[in-house]
Amino acid sequence: MGTTDSSIVDAARARPGLLFAVLLGGLLLVDLAAKLGGVGLGPIGGSVSVDRLGSNLWNGVVIGLVIGLAGIGLSMTYSILSFANFSHGDLVSAGAFTGWGVAFLIAGFGDVPVRALLTVRDAGSASPGDVGAHILSTPGAILVGLVAAFVVTSLLAVALDRAFYKPMRDRDGISLLIASIGAALIVRYLLQFGYGSDRRGVTASVEQSNLAFGPLGVSVNAHELTILVAAVGLMVAMHAMLQHTKLGTAMRAMADNKDLALITGIPAERVVTATWIIGGGLAGASGYLYVLLRGTIQFDFGWLLLLLIFAAVILGGIGSVYGAIVGGLVIGVVFTTSTIWIPSDFNQAAAFAVMILMLLLRPEGLFGGVSTA
Amino acid sequence: MSADDAPEPAGTTESGSESDAPATESGSESDAPATEPVSESGDSPTDAEVSAGTDHALGGDAILRIRDLDAGYGDLQILSDVVLDVADEEYVTIVGPNGAGKSTVMKTVFGLTTHMGGTVEFEGEPIHGLAPEQIIREGIGFVPQNDNVFPGLSVRENLEMGAYILDEVPEAQIETIYDRFPILRERSEQKAGTLSGGQRQMVAMGRALMLDPDLLLLDEPSAGLAPDLVDDMFDRIDRINDSGTAVLMVEQNAKEALRRCDRGYVLVNGGNRYTDRGDVLLADEDVRRDFLGG
Repeated sequence: MGTTDSSIVDAARARPGLLFAVLLGGLLLVDLAAKLGGVGLGPIGGSVSVDRLGSNLWNGVVIGLVIGLAGIGLSMTYSILSFANFSHGDLVSAGAFTGWGVAFLIAGFGDVPVRALLTVRDAGSASPGDVGAHILSTPGAILVGLVAAFVVTSLLAVALDRAFYKPMRDRDGISLLIASIGAALIVRYLLQFGYGSDRRGVTASVEQSNLAFGPLGVSVNAHELTILVAAVGLMVAMHAMLQHTKLGTAMRAMADNKDLALITGIPAERVVTATWIIGGGLAGASGYLYVLLRGTIQFDFGWLLLLLIFAAVILGGIGSVYGAIVGGLVIGVVFTTSTIWIPSDFNQAAAFAVMILMLLLRPEGLFGGVSTA
Repeated sequence: MSADDAPEPAGTTESGSESDAPATESGSESDAPATEPVSESGDSPTDAEVSAGTDHALGGDAILRIRDLDAGYGDLQILSDVVLDVADEEYVTIVGPNGAGKSTVMKTVFGLTTHMGGTVEFEGEPIHGLAPEQIIREGIGFVPQNDNVFPGLSVRENLEMGAYILDEVPEAQIETIYDRFPILRERSEQKAGTLSGGQRQMVAMGRALMLDPDLLLLDEPSAGLAPDLVDDMFDRIDRINDSGTAVLMVEQNAKEALRRCDRGYVLVNGGNRYTDRGDVLLADEDVRRDFLGG
């Protein structure tokens, strides 16, 4: 027994952060159990319904999938091009606006002026109800919008690469990072110029849109289910592409060792272009899905979301596609379940606290050093 | 690493024929396996005296023909007026002290340095200035010294990447490589990063052989290998050469490399010093003293 005790003490001395994390996590779990049981013991306990916990978890998974989807592209550009792309958040916004413009055009064509549709109701020129975009009433429009978000954003990403990043290909990561901040500003204010700066509603409301009730009494609405299917589908496609195609293998090879990829005869520029197409496209799709979830759109929402995307990617191990997905889910769940303990104004802080804790305990992230790409 | 057994050359004369060093030990190497004389200046080693040649160009046909090559990195010139030939199916090794530019020669052939002058011809076509991707298409494979596998890819995927420029994965060639390195067949689905140093070296060679190149460039193939694996690695290189692939190799283990190769080049300070049959270089007193540690 004595040796066991001392080894625990040694471990705690060596890694006090781990001890702190374990204690805090244990305390939160005990508190959660007390809350669910409706037991109040001074500062801990209280009451939280199983329904609320369930819906928090479900919301966290849905947001997490969107963040993870956006994180894939960020992680890919980091591992293959070796820089943190700060324009990624604005690619998310760009995908949302262009995708919803197309979805509106299909859903509301004839009822609402085309200009109001393509600008996603700039200056409140029609109500969301007039357009009537909803997965149940206009599923075709929603799906075509998703495809359009992917395609247009991937083209935008390739254009940004040709204009800014390609001429700087052999510069260091910091120079590229700063260039990407410039690109981010350009995209953001072009969006504001084209689509206006108002926050406005996008999706229509449809009765009976709460489709299912899960075992925990969780209400699942049709848009959340759409996001689940679309995001998981895109992630599975991404996995298949990375693991089972020549291009995907070349991407992993370039992420592993760029110099060797060159010597091996892998055409680097073509792989880089494919990286922008896929990473940018996924960013655009995730922005489109984020708007489907929130129901509103604003020109800088992607930029604001970028911090959470970075948190997810860093948590998962920057450079790893699978880490980005898992990191997104962790950040999403922390983001929503933290409101059990703290005011919802602080839930972003909780997400970043988890990221910082991860950096302290495992600086390489969850999947860092395990497998690139 | 070769600095230990290759001190700064002191007072070696440019011309091997003027060698006046006492030839007391030169006889001991005269029983080295005689290879077919390829070099014009290939004096047979004799008991009395051995002189390494300095005629760097090959008389007959060479698949790789380097003439007056100047190259380096950015503004820094490393090689000056290097002359080097590799004949079809020949096994050529480059030795010399650290910083002599041995690896730079290889990297320059493969288009990885700044070309500053002179020519590199492969099978009659100039290849200096081409990108590595094009040079691979010409029929040259390159195994760099360090980090020469993709650690996150499986063994099979590493090999497949070696044939990226082909439309189809050449299954027959993968089988040929598995036959050559049977352990790789067993480890086919394993990530290359989990393999031992010797196995990684096999993956790296296998990858470079995927397009069945006419010339294989090997940069320090024995570096980092456990001593008992070094001989095995040299045997494998012999067999690759025996099956018809010309080999140009830089090797820290200079004695063993010269013993195995057809011809050797001694490079010093980015330029040619001696060129002769491997056994002649091994037997030459100056070469032994200045580059092979006595």
